[in-house]
Amino acid sequence: MNFELNEEQSALAGSLARLLGEHYSFEKRRALVASGTAHDERAWRGLAELGVTALPLPEAHGGFGGGACDLAPVMQALGRALSLEPFLPSSVLGAKALQHADDAVQARVLPAIAAGDARLAWAHDETAGRHAPWWIETRASQKDGQWRLNGAKSTVLAAGLAKHVVVSARTHGAPPDADGCALFLLDAQAAGAELRTFRLVDDSPAGELLLRNAVAQPLTDPSDSARARAAIAAVLNTGIAAACSDMVGAAQAAFDLAMDYVRTRKQFGRFIGENQALRHRAADMLVSLEMARSMAMAAAVAAENPDAEDARADLHRAKLCVGRHARLVAQGAIQLHGGIGMTEEYAVGHCLRRIHVMDQLFGDSDAHAARLAEAL
Amino acid sequence: MNLDLTPGQRAFRDEVRAFIAARLPADIRDWLRLGNPPRKQDTVTWQRILNERGWAAPHWPRQYGGADLGQMERLILLDEIYRAPAPLPQVFNVGMLGPVLLTYGTPAQRDHFLPRLANLDIWFCQGFSEPGSGSDLASLRTVARRDGDHYVVNGQKIWTTTAHLADWVFALVRTDADARKQEGISFLMIDLRSPGITIRPIHSIDGEHHLNEVFFDEVRVPVANLVGQENKGWDCAKFLLGNERTGIANVGLCRERLDHARGLAARRTQAGRPLADDPKLRTEFALLDAEIRALEITNWRFLLTDSEQKRLPAFASVLKLKGVELQQDINALLARLAGPDGLERRPSTDKVHGPLTPRYFYSRAASIYGGTSEVQKDILAKAIVG
Repeated sequence: MNFELNEEQSALAGSLARLLGEHYSFEKRRALVASGTAHDERAWRGLAELGVTALPLPEAHGGFGGGACDLAPVMQALGRALSLEPFLPSSVLGAKALQHADDAVQARVLPAIAAGDARLAWAHDETAGRHAPWWIETRASQKDGQWRLNGAKSTVLAAGLAKHVVVSARTHGAPPDADGCALFLLDAQAAGAELRTFRLVDDSPAGELLLRNAVAQPLTDPSDSARARAAIAAVLNTGIAAACSDMVGAAQAAFDLAMDYVRTRKQFGRFIGENQALRHRAADMLVSLEMARSMAMAAAVAAENPDAEDARADLHRAKLCVGRHARLVAQGAIQLHGGIGMTEEYAVGHCLRRIHVMDQLFGDSDAHAARLAEAL
Repeated sequence: MNLDLTPGQRAFRDEVRAFIAARLPADIRDWLRLGNPPRKQDTVTWQRILNERGWAAPHWPRQYGGADLGQMERLILLDEIYRAPAPLPQVFNVGMLGPVLLTYGTPAQRDHFLPRLANLDIWFCQGFSEPGSGSDLASLRTVARRDGDHYVVNGQKIWTTTAHLADWVFALVRTDADARKQEGISFLMIDLRSPGITIRPIHSIDGEHHLNEVFFDEVRVPVANLVGQENKGWDCAKFLLGNERTGIANVGLCRERLDHARGLAARRTQAGRPLADDPKLRTEFALLDAEIRALEITNWRFLLTDSEQKRLPAFASVLKLKGVELQQDINALLARLAGPDGLERRPSTDKVHGPLTPRYFYSRAASIYGGTSEVQKDILAKAIVG
């Protein structure tokens, strides 16, 4: 058993914290959002130079072969800074899916992703499915030797920044069957691929993808649905672990802000942190933060060894637990701030917004509670 | 990062599991499984079996009957005892007084008491709380005045768990009335057969007798039974209270009780359908299961972090707060599962469940003893807010 970062992980986390401190102070982030640009190109270049964009990619294609445990401190740092960079959809989700593709496809796409020169998006969720992982209505059909996609994909993170989009679609069967699913690589500019971009409630860029006879390339053999299923499951597992670490980072940021605030803010002639009611809330928040931190570790370990005995249950437990506890921390932090915590111009509210988004991705707390109940 | 036991730890767990399977008397296991607290004889019988392997006091040095186990092995042993379920080694003997004697005791005290504590030849109880001094322990008023080779003790202790079953009590007494609050306190071991001691039962919320008042009227205690220095008893008390961390989260207990709840829900029906079919109940099981896992990993993280700098201050309070909350939630759930059938004050020999409702009532004590949850939050707040 070991809960410490190794030397490389610590070193990278330190460099990343410096980079984000430089480019992602809350003021800079606000200015970035106000400017209307989806993300900070300089910060993104910095991530590429640090090797972060290459971290989870295979070594054969320009990456460092990092696993979920290497990713955890990175996601935590990005969550803590409330980063808007498209790292999760591109280097984590999209790249994970591509690792299940044929080598030639990987060789063509992944080096540019590793270098940060191009980006991937992951288009899997559909409105009708909500949190059901295999609810894929989007159809893939073959005509004149070409595969064409029809359907709609919701909440595609950083879709407008992607060169290619990995799309899950169904060649046969019907939801909620996992059987009949396949993965395709779609050129973001392809005819018939219509993208409506927007910002999520945490200001991160996203989009909705409408597919009308859009030509796409199979990522894996469409008749081999077991392989596609394994690929999708791997992406979702990695996504769960990444979201958990991101939430821990955002919860830590909210916690730190709140502790600073109660130590410095005076009311009725004394620091508000002297009031026992507020002190006890702070203690409750610490308990929640530590529980969340523990389960984010469990999720990383489980995503890295998905066939281990406790892995499946631990992923459900983690998404359930971290979502609930990180939310409690952020809500408590807003409460400790009072009115200022409710404002757009103050960071603590953005932590809750971030946590809410991450809770809703890859199955929310309720969905994972239900699936854990099934699994037990 | 990894959450795996080492091959050595795995082998140790298998060894403990096999030992318990072979040696734990079935009637004790079944009695506990139904939700009954262990009877005195159960604890004695089982502790003596564990003591054959040094596992009654696993963290003590071998020369005093322990097994010199490290944190992880102790935790594995504890989890397996809960999982069985088997009685825990008697905590006042093994978790409290033993370590105090190892640190502060004289060689004569160690040689005489430690083997007897481990084998439960003598049963100690703890005399700390007094009327008017609950969480504010140092305000205690029981006095001991020196008279030749003896102290003469006068005063009263309260909430003394198992005093009516015990042979001895270790108590905090005031030996210098003029000193500041925490100074002037001494740590005495007192034979409960001494003249002048009266023990009165306090029946608790579950209708049972666990707690007592203990009165001291001119009780003569040999000076040889002073632990540590006179007027330095607060050091022993602080050490004792801060020492027992391995078991503070009670993860194994929570898991065993939740497993029992799941089993009950599967066996019991409502209007012809198993309770376990209720999605709301299943979700509640899932939530508790996830929280227990989070507590378990938090416990490992805290116990296995070797450097004090990296360790969260006051982490024991995190573990106690969350552990208590889960124990109480699970006990409340068990009482709900027992339902109307659980209302009988002393359940007959019904093998479906034991006194789950009274146990739920008594579980409310968990957030009061050993420092209330509010005191734990004060400790945490001090560490994080200042």
